[in-house]
Amino acid sequence: MYGYLVRRLLQFAAVLLLGSIAVWGFTFALPGDPATVLLGPDASEAELEATRERLGLGGSIVEQYVSWIGHAVAGDLGDSYYSGQPVVGELLDRIPATVQLAGFAMALTLLIGVPVGIVVALRPYAVVGRVLQGYLTAGLAVPAFWLGLLLIIVLAVQLRWLPASSDFVPLWQDPGGALTATILPATAIAVHTSSVTARFLATSLGEVMGKDYIRTARAKGVPERDVIRRHALRNASLPTVTIVGLQLGGFLGGTVVIEAVFNYPGLGRLLYTAIGERDYALVQGGVLFVVAAFLLLNLLVDVFYAVLDPRIRLT
Amino acid sequence: MSGGALDGAVRDGTAHGSAPPVAPDRAGRPVLSLRDLVVEFTTPAGVVRAVDGMSYDVLGGETLGVVGETGSGKSVSVLAALGLLRTPNLRRVSGKAMLGDVDLLALPEPDLRRRLGRDVAMIFQDAISALNPVQRVGHQIAEALRVHDRALSADAARTRVVELLDMVGVPHPATRYDQYPHQFSGGMCQRVMIAMAIANRPKVLIADEPTTALDVSVQAQILDLLRVARQETGAGVVLITHDLGVVAETADRVSVTYGGRIVEAGDVTQIFTRPRHPYTAALLGALPRLDTASDRLLPIPGQPPDPSDLPPGCAFAPRCPVSRGRAVCTEVRPEAVPDGSGTAGSACHFPDEAAGLLTARPEGARAEPAGAPDGAGEPGSAREPAAPVLDIREAMVRFPVRSGVLARPSAWVHAVDGVSLRVPAGRTLGLVGESGCGKTTLARLVLRLVEPTGGQILVDGDDVGKAGRSQLRRIRRRAQMVFQDPYASLNPRLTVGDNVAEPLRLQGLPYGQRRRQVADLFTRVGLRPEHADRLPAEFSGGQRQRVAIARALASRPGLLILDEPVSALDVSVQAQVLNLLADLQRESAMAYLFVSHDLAVIRQVADEVAVMYLGRIVESGSVRRVYDDPRHPYTRALLASVPVPDPVGRADRQRVPLGGDVPSPVDPPSGCRFRTRCPIAAAVCAEEEPPLRLVAGGHTACHFAERTAGMEPGGQAGGQGPAEQTAAPGPAEPAAGQGPEVRG
Ligand code: SF4
Ligand code: SF4
Repeated sequence: MYGYLVRRLLQFAAVLLLGSIAVWGFTFALPGDPATVLLGPDASEAELEATRERLGLGGSIVEQYVSWIGHAVAGDLGDSYYSGQPVVGELLDRIPATVQLAGFAMALTLLIGVPVGIVVALRPYAVVGRVLQGYLTAGLAVPAFWLGLLLIIVLAVQLRWLPASSDFVPLWQDPGGALTATILPATAIAVHTSSVTARFLATSLGEVMGKDYIRTARAKGVPERDVIRRHALRNASLPTVTIVGLQLGGFLGGTVVIEAVFNYPGLGRLLYTAIGERDYALVQGGVLFVVAAFLLLNLLVDVFYAVLDPRIRLT
Repeated sequence: MSGGALDGAVRDGTAHGSAPPVAPDRAGRPVLSLRDLVVEFTTPAGVVRAVDGMSYDVLGGETLGVVGETGSGKSVSVLAALGLLRTPNLRRVSGKAMLGDVDLLALPEPDLRRRLGRDVAMIFQDAISALNPVQRVGHQIAEALRVHDRALSADAARTRVVELLDMVGVPHPATRYDQYPHQFSGGMCQRVMIAMAIANRPKVLIADEPTTALDVSVQAQILDLLRVARQETGAGVVLITHDLGVVAETADRVSVTYGGRIVEAGDVTQIFTRPRHPYTAALLGALPRLDTASDRLLPIPGQPPDPSDLPPGCAFAPRCPVSRGRAVCTEVRPEAVPDGSGTAGSACHFPDEAAGLLTARPEGARAEPAGAPDGAGEPGSAREPAAPVLDIREAMVRFPVRSGVLARPSAWVHAVDGVSLRVPAGRTLGLVGESGCGKTTLARLVLRLVEPTGGQILVDGDDVGKAGRSQLRRIRRRAQMVFQDPYASLNPRLTVGDNVAEPLRLQGLPYGQRRRQVADLFTRVGLRPEHADRLPAEFSGGQRQRVAIARALASRPGLLILDEPVSALDVSVQAQVLNLLADLQRESAMAYLFVSHDLAVIRQVADEVAVMYLGRIVESGSVRRVYDDPRHPYTRALLASVPVPDPVGRADRQRVPLGGDVPSPVDPPSGCRFRTRCPIAAAVCAEEEPPLRLVAGGHTACHFAERTAGMEPGGQAGGQGPAEQTAAPGPAEPAAGQGPEVRG
């Protein structure tokens, strides 16, 4: 177990390092350097020099990277080119909103996906099973933004049950308000992702139900409900855990389109705007956060895997 | 130790209020009886009747052997009776499955479940996959107790499970309780299954191919354990198997299945000595024997019946040597006619002619070996023909075991460790050993499918290890391999004809010539040339193996490497393939390296035998020397472990199974590698590795090879005798053949 964890941790660190280099390096791949971008084509050489100095763009490439990552680790990702505010501050404004939306979306994904997956796997020929299978196909086919628009038109504009554009209402301040503000974008996301999750779960559960050890459990006299609960689900959840981890990572990276549709103040929209404004410092910082969050989730999935599966834990 | 555990188990059983440990009541009513069981599936090919009116009874305390080939309905029938068949294409299950007074088939599912595991328990094949990989082994057994006894506390269950584990011979039961199945060997997993099955002292114990995936030495341990389990619980045991040897060793009565029915039932001795159904007799004739060398097996012609298209008359009619085209066989389905005693019977119109098949055989078979090329007048020193086709010298293969943070090789698996072999043209070298002994690695080494770590492999004098790419290709044309699973080695999207023609195409032969050669090859391996356009999936296992052999022959090899070529085949078909291989060798003087775990098959096909253990050859020599005068304790124990398909005198056979499992090849024992399981190991064995030396006309690697000859197979009674500093778990068969017999 420890060997496995240490190995995963080292991998995590190495990939994060490579990721940070890539994130930092991408500004060099762009035409012109940040100072030119910032000051426009008419700036004088002296002004450019001063700006480069301010942005920490002096010295060799290695020095630049080291100073950047050093600052980043200390919590300083530089200032936004555009607003002049510290990048960290800008990000911290948006991250809670994104995390909250991601949390809601994930909760919905699991609430819908797991039961649907189980029913589809166990009752593939019953009416419920067929109906839910239809849901899965539809859920995969319908684009999230279109569903979002549909929800807005029906529920917000026509029925006026819910607000059309969602502000960020922190859950810890106003749970009810948070729910009404987040439920629509979360649903728009979760219909798709729950279909993916349910598919995965249904496939692996269907496979597990045919395994010898399920037959053994039945032969022991275990009631069918317990066969599924105690024997099948835990084994079937293994591959599903991976997909859920990936989905959550995707949510954290920002669901740009959904945030745009609902005018939701999340990380995705911040980054989207920053790219439009060529606010590279902000883009760098945001992407670094997303990469780190993604890798961290992966690490957690691996740990969770080890907890669920003794064959990984004990070798 | 185990005796105490057994007593505890008995007391516990009575306290539970379930049946007291009665003496086997063979005159009593059957504990389980199947009546006219029919099981049907819907398939694209139509309705498949997998079980076609099967009936049998099991009495308390007896073992009923249900023996038959793949697809004969022997397993499907019990799974259906217990409601464990759950495929969506199950069409119908009808008939009766009486457990005492209750018809299991008429019970609603929850009621049925309450009886499963309590009154009737199952032991499955391939125990490793029959256990839940993410649940502690102890919990899995405890669950069997607690679902039927809700009042049982977790602690009490644990105590009881530890007792059970001890009883079935799992060493360190308290520690093992908390481990997971992947930390157990196959044999240990099967012990766990047995513990689970007997936990509630069931009235019926059904073992479905319980030893099929196991090595012979472990199989012998498990069969002994089943015997003890039966004696302890007083249960009626249904032993379902394809292995006639296992049946002969363990069953009291036998039911033979064919085409979804019981074709013959009777007392075990009667079945084996005076069979009353031609199929039973033919099966016995097709079986390679460990005790007698026969020149030729008598295969059953044709293929097992297609359950989607059962003939109206006798299902065996197309293959029956007795029928001789008599109309009644193809028109009237023979019903099982019980004989006087009421339990025996044969579903044949001419039951009295069946036994004739059996007596006809040994005469014809024994007449020939003397004249065969592998005569006895060929002692070890004379077996050195000019140039061997295959010459392996000190071959060595090591695989790295990667571990740690950087996955650096931290240890090495010594898969093959200094093996030398030679196979001359026209001869067969049989390579036997248990799983993990390195025999398959050695076979792959010949074609360099694994890279050698050391030594030399010469095919026709060409060094395989040093060959460049084009030379290797040439060598691989001269040395061909046939694998266990022909389906995996054939391209499923090409027709069988194209599969066979593949090597010819690579040689650049024009199309017309290829077609001709393929037709020719098909005829040689006994396939119809007009079937060349079919896909592999349309063939049965035996036919596919013929296709694979045809493909191997296409490039006219001088050497065939046969890696368990008949292990996946049924006895009747296996005999066909073995005979085919013998014929081909006679025609073309190919050399065979025949790898198998099956000692009887090797005896049948080989001229010379090499026995492998943990990467080394421990004994080699002519078939007669190794089988009739084995000097290595391992060979002796192996031979003693093989169940003999002859129930006569089984009570007198001293069959003390080899204890424990094969040690890990990562860190083989010092000195003699067999010493951790050797019943006669002495101090010198741990210090000095015995060299392979000439003993009695063969080669044996044992310090005491001269002294083993007169000893009991398997060594002193008890078989508990590993030497000092043995780390391996004790053999742990719970006093097989001792305690229970004394008490009974
Ligand atoms: S009934 Fe006829 S075909 Fe069937 S086994 Fe007997 S003799 Fe053979
Ligand atoms: S050398 Fe010793 S341990 Fe090895 S087989 Fe012979 S007696 Fe047994």
